Amino acid sequence: MDFSGQVVVADLEAGVGTLTRLGDAGVDKVLIIVEPTPKSVEVGSRAAAIVADKSLGEVVVVASRVQSDDDLAMIRKAFPDHQVVPVPDDPAIVAADRDGQAPLDTAPDAPAVQALTALAGDLLATA
Amino acid sequence: MRVAFVGKGGAGKSAISGTFARLLARRGHPVLAIDSDPLPGMAYSLGLPHDDAPLPDEAIEDRPDDEEGPRYRLRAGLSPVEAVERYAATAPDGVRFLQFGKVRTDPRALFRSQFAFRQIIRELPVDRWDLVGDLPGGTRQPFTGWGGYADTFLIVVEPMAKSLLSARRLARLASSGDRPVRVVAVANKVTEAVDAEHISRRTGLEVVAAVPLDPVFAAAERAGKAPLDAAPDSAGVQAVSSLVDRLEKEHPRMKVTP
Repeated sequence: MDFSGQVVVADLEAGVGTLTRLGDAGVDKVLIIVEPTPKSVEVGSRAAAIVADKSLGEVVVVASRVQSDDDLAMIRKAFPDHQVVPVPDDPAIVAADRDGQAPLDTAPDAPAVQALTALAGDLLATA
Repeated sequence: MRVAFVGKGGAGKSAISGTFARLLARRGHPVLAIDSDPLPGMAYSLGLPHDDAPLPDEAIEDRPDDEEGPRYRLRAGLSPVEAVERYAATAPDGVRFLQFGKVRTDPRALFRSQFAFRQIIRELPVDRWDLVGDLPGGTRQPFTGWGGYADTFLIVVEPMAKSLLSARRLARLASSGDRPVRVVAVANKVTEAVDAEHISRRTGLEVVAAVPLDPVFAAAERAGKAPLDAAPDSAGVQAVSSLVDRLEKEHPRMKVTP
């Protein structure tokens, strides 16, 4: 399909299964969502390695549910060669999820939503 | 007892199943923890260092061309029980831990090990170990044969719209197989008294445990430690302990070692 002039956002299945099966169709950016736990960082590192191995696109690491500077430092340390974008742990996101609502509708000014709005702007400017 | 924990990614399967396995072992049960996720997870929650190693080549042989059956199988003369005793890691509290290995870049590297892993689980005698499985998030693995060992599926559900939707689908899939299985819910990250009832109503499942949203339990995850080691007195561990009590009572066939 021709997607020129359009933005395609794909939400892949958890884990790296889909990544390992993707062909060589590259994308502009691959956003790897990582939480500040060793388990999540380990999985994210493997995803980044697969993306690099298959030359799928430029990796941006989204550090999600960040509660402290230590949380962010832990993720930055694991991804020294990648841009890391922090998204704070935010009760507004949890509340929206509980209600089955889009956080952008229920809490557009919440810190996490603001961080994602800024990220979207950056991606549009650079992709 | 043969249970498998399933649910949406991030629902808390590994933390709950790892804690469950160790608590069961502490009560004298021989426990084999089964991790069929190609990514690291359950080992952390058991208190084991994570290890990518697949079952070794020495344990596996190719099927001869003139025979029927899967492409690879356990080496002739190696029984499933011997394979577990030889190749499963030993976690704290004596839990044995079996995995087929973890993927780095090419999942084909694990094919041989996967065949042998599935054979081991399929052919294990039912009275040797209680099985506690942690299946990867989503629906693909649990109901394409990987969860075939389980007589009870525990669907880990968060009180969130997406998680409830996933749980309903998992429950339908679990109940649609050709053998009877019990399907129940474990409510996780519960913050309000009505959450468990809400989950039961929305999924149609019996809720057999309600694990509270517990900062101490969550902190253990952040530190990469087993909740049972880092937060043994936490409300989360207490709730999993109650779940063990309940299932222990409900599984009269379960073997208890002297």
